[in-house]
Amino acid sequence: MNRANEKTSRWQTSRGTMQFMVYAAVCLAILLLPLVVQDDFMLNRIARYLVLAMVAMALSLSWGYAGILNLGQAMSFGIGSYCMAMALKLRTVPVHTGSDGLPDFMVWNNVTQLPWFWEPFWSLPFAILAGILLPALAAALLGWFIFRGRVTGVFVAIITLATMIVLNLVIIDQQQYTGGFNGITDLAQLELFGVTFDAYSSSTYYLVAISLTLSLFFALAITRSKAGLILQAIRDQEQRVRFFGYDVALFKTTIFAISAAIAGLAGMLYTIVMEFASPTFLSVQLSLSIVIWCAVGGRQSLLGAMLGAILVAGVQGALSESETFLDTWTLIMGGLFVLIVLFLPNGLASLIDLGRRRVRTPKSPDNRVAHSAELKEDRT
Amino acid sequence: MTAHLNLVDVGVSFNGFKAVNGLTLSVNQGELRCLIGPNGAGKTTALDLICGKTAAMSGSIIYRGQDITALEDYQIARVGVGRKFQIPSVFKQLTVRENLEVAYCKHTGVFSNLMQWSRSSDSGGLAHLAEFVGLADHFDEPADHLSHGQTQWLEIALLLAQDADLILLDEPTAGMTAQETHKTADICQRLKGKHTIIVVEHDMGFVKEIGDIISVMHQGRLLAEGTVAEIEADPKVRQVYLGSAGISGA
Repeated sequence: MNRANEKTSRWQTSRGTMQFMVYAAVCLAILLLPLVVQDDFMLNRIARYLVLAMVAMALSLSWGYAGILNLGQAMSFGIGSYCMAMALKLRTVPVHTGSDGLPDFMVWNNVTQLPWFWEPFWSLPFAILAGILLPALAAALLGWFIFRGRVTGVFVAIITLATMIVLNLVIIDQQQYTGGFNGITDLAQLELFGVTFDAYSSSTYYLVAISLTLSLFFALAITRSKAGLILQAIRDQEQRVRFFGYDVALFKTTIFAISAAIAGLAGMLYTIVMEFASPTFLSVQLSLSIVIWCAVGGRQSLLGAMLGAILVAGVQGALSESETFLDTWTLIMGGLFVLIVLFLPNGLASLIDLGRRRVRTPKSPDNRVAHSAELKEDRT
Repeated sequence: MTAHLNLVDVGVSFNGFKAVNGLTLSVNQGELRCLIGPNGAGKTTALDLICGKTAAMSGSIIYRGQDITALEDYQIARVGVGRKFQIPSVFKQLTVRENLEVAYCKHTGVFSNLMQWSRSSDSGGLAHLAEFVGLADHFDEPADHLSHGQTQWLEIALLLAQDADLILLDEPTAGMTAQETHKTADICQRLKGKHTIIVVEHDMGFVKEIGDIISVMHQGRLLAEGTVAEIEADPKVRQVYLGSAGISGA
């Protein structure tokens, strides 16, 4: 028996190591890509997909691991994006409207004084912290009410979606302070530690790729911790976990906030890559797209969700630009989604598991026979 | 010996139906108490009240001198109350090992669990537990693959891993074969003394095998209490169990 345990535990660790290796290999490939792709335009586009991959990965953390379907994931993304845009917009003030001027769109809207909530964004470190902490705080507050009230399932999706729509409408409505429908455009380039991050350059690509790698491994560490295990248990049987003495609401709120923080970081990077922030960044459409990426890639796999986003967004980009599929690309994307949901409910990531099982099958029947014999002995 | 658990005049009603109505029950440290009664007598509800799944509307529940009536369910679990439900509720997508790791809950905080590598916890002890309930061969298999009986065993192993002082068992032998029932009785006997146990059970053979003192509930109240022989001789108990067949027929 002990030998069997040793064997299984060795198999467990080897599986863990293998997962780590696969994750590392993918990240390495992403980091080395600029050596192959020299085209700045192409790099910018891939950087964009990587940012979207990061949000999808964040959703996988809350949806796939804790069972919280957050349809307002784009809210965290949008808040992060606006935080970065506000800071970068203020850097253009001296050039656009003079040293004691205002952001240009405020001038056009007859605003005479910088509103109080813009003031702290003169400081870039504050903006960066806010871009991560504001979404996390918003999620923690929302989550505290949702999960303390033991709201579950589809109602969580509705509440998060509604909250995001409210924020979206407020941003569109407050045009004089937020740029309204147009969003915040015409931004300065981010300068950090003496490096200028031009959207169309490898420096921005590396910034995105490194952020993605770090947040992916941060998320992986969470899922591999005991808390990660407890979250999966909550996903399966929330009630049962409570009777072991775990404060389920606190666990869910925490992972909800961590997921929001990663999404906020992704939002900031998106502003840098796209060179603007817009209300479409916290739209229903983007939120649903994130869910689709997760579902296609496999929501219970961080890497799966990430690759799902890159794949779907990439194919979408390629199809919508080719002349042959100009009119039909949405149909193709829809069909692809339906096929995957029907035949691979756990997404493309489950293909790996299927493959692994096929490799191992020759051994398992013997085990099963031996085991059932053992059982018979027990009974008689 | 002082009472470990005291229910004083506890009551709860659902839409006007008094499921538990002025129940007073006291259980000593290390005792194995069986709770029996006809269907709808409020046995499961009584367990729900103790573990906090249902909030009591009147009366108070005192556990080790502490009033736990108003505590949240997870807080009650933290003071040392474990519960096995009637319907097996294990974590189907997790392996047997992972199920046990979740149940091994010495630290319940979020931060301490984030800082803890999931495989570092007392693996050897958990493997022993799995062996004890005959699931060693399934240690790294998802709980989804287990049969009904094995799921029941896993559930009992979860309780052992949790190591609660007061264990509430709701029909632990439902769906088990005679041998398995016997083994469950054996486990209960072993736990007795170190842990206080309350068992709700219909299987009278099982109750006779393990029970010291039996409490009989009827219509949300305590009807009778005593040893197996006393209960079997009690005319009131005979009456609620529909006459002559006695409780062994229930």
